[in-house]
Amino acid sequence: MKTRILGIVGLLAVIGASVFGLFVVPADLNQGDAQRIMYPHVASAWLGELSFGLTALAGIGYLWRRDLRLDAVAHAAAEVGVLFTAFAIWGGMMWGRPVWGVFWQWEDPRLATTALLLALGIGYLLLRRLTDDPARRATRAAVVGVIAALDIPIIHFSVIWWRGLHQGATFGDPAKILHPSAPGLFVIALMGMLSAFTIVWCYLMIRRYQLARLDWQMEEHGRLGRISAARRAASVPSPAAEEPAR
Amino acid sequence: MSDVGFVIAGYGVILGGAAIYAATLVRRLRAAREASLRIREQAEQAPPVDRTA
Amino acid sequence: MSRFSQGATIALTIARKDALSELRGRQASGSTLFFAALVLLLFGFALGPDTRRLTDAAPGLLWLAIVFGGLLTVARLHQLEADDGALEQLALYPVDRRAIYLGKALAGTIAMLVLGAILLPVVAILYAIPIGAAWLPLVITVALGAIGFAAVGTAYAGLTVRMRAREVMLPLLMLPIVAPLLLSAVKATAAALGGDPFGEMGAWLQLLAAFDIVMLVAGAATYGFVLED
Repeated sequence: MKTRILGIVGLLAVIGASVFGLFVVPADLNQGDAQRIMYPHVASAWLGELSFGLTALAGIGYLWRRDLRLDAVAHAAAEVGVLFTAFAIWGGMMWGRPVWGVFWQWEDPRLATTALLLALGIGYLLLRRLTDDPARRATRAAVVGVIAALDIPIIHFSVIWWRGLHQGATFGDPAKILHPSAPGLFVIALMGMLSAFTIVWCYLMIRRYQLARLDWQMEEHGRLGRISAARRAASVPSPAAEEPAR
Repeated sequence: MSDVGFVIAGYGVILGGAAIYAATLVRRLRAAREASLRIREQAEQAPPVDRTA
Repeated sequence: MSRFSQGATIALTIARKDALSELRGRQASGSTLFFAALVLLLFGFALGPDTRRLTDAAPGLLWLAIVFGGLLTVARLHQLEADDGALEQLALYPVDRRAIYLGKALAGTIAMLVLGAILLPVVAILYAIPIGAAWLPLVITVALGAIGFAAVGTAYAGLTVRMRAREVMLPLLMLPIVAPLLLSAVKATAAALGGDPFGEMGAWLQLLAAFDIVMLVAGAATYGFVLED
């Protein structure tokens, strides 16, 4: 019940923040209306990163404590993280086309990093999907999560240097071409969208975690069901029982 | 496509995507809870697991 | 015998065992080398016939070939043991997992150094690259790249070797992780070949070294979990 309220609050907050960002804040002096996409784009990017950080930490927690609930947290955070990271990339593309003239370019460090983040997250989810045993799955996922998390700062520095040492950069840094006509409103819009998205994130995380726990419980039951069914079958006398044990 | 078009596409996909995901989660949760309930009822009615095997 | 020297002995023993089996099973490792060279050849057909374009792209193409060959290499180093059930045996010994990991990572590094050593002259010939004076920084770059790739490749290969769809899972997991290694190695290689006009090579080599250290530590720390599978 409390979660449902959280969801409704989140929905209203996002609607409110969107209305504010789309209609109340004046257009950017440099970028025009296209700049409005930044509000959900930045919020999505931040929450995606937060999610993956949580995935890595929960994974470490699992390796330490072997509590499958931590693994459920990691799984939920990874899926929600992929969602928000995909949103961030979409937002970045929708912003890039009007402002830069292209949907994608390789000089922007954030775009490159976010793309790799998405790839790492999808790989994590696919790894989980291909492993059936819960303990093995949790262990593998945790290892991959940790190594990926350790790679992030290296990725970050490498793409920044990539751009920094690149002679003749042609695409402006988003932060530098920003020129809000009402800086105060701009900040309010950004913070507002960030807060609204965070509420939604909490709601999605709680629901996804609940689902993960239910799935795992049913998995457990499925396994036990198969074991007891096999036991019942083995105890029924049949000609096959006369065969010597292998 | 004008700038406004991209803004709409941006907001639309992000907000719409989040809404669809939330709706999917709620649906999957409901299905999982019903299935879990059914399994529990089955377990209470079914014969006990044969532990002598 | 101190624990450190005991661990070192184990690591070296495992490295030697893997290296010998690589040499003996010459078809497999030779095939990988030939495959990587083929990739370089095919890049020529994809991006040619303008040699200048190929020369410009050479550092990137070289490292792509090393990465593709490397994926096969690290997979192979775990495959033989997985097939024989020897991995489970290895996991049973009360041996420091880190020593096992370092041994396998060392073997992987050596295999990739061989790969790099063979591909450098191939690139030089196919794409008209004058290596000449740049041979030392090139060797250092290849060495650092080999260590880093083997470091993370050993951990991921151990992880995926018993998985469904392992042939695709290993590259799928590895490629995003080694993106910074690829980018740094290519930049360092290009700088080395061009005489390092902007003095950036040092920075890229440092980044490579940082990658190597981080991945070696992470691999050693997690290999125990990888083996317990």
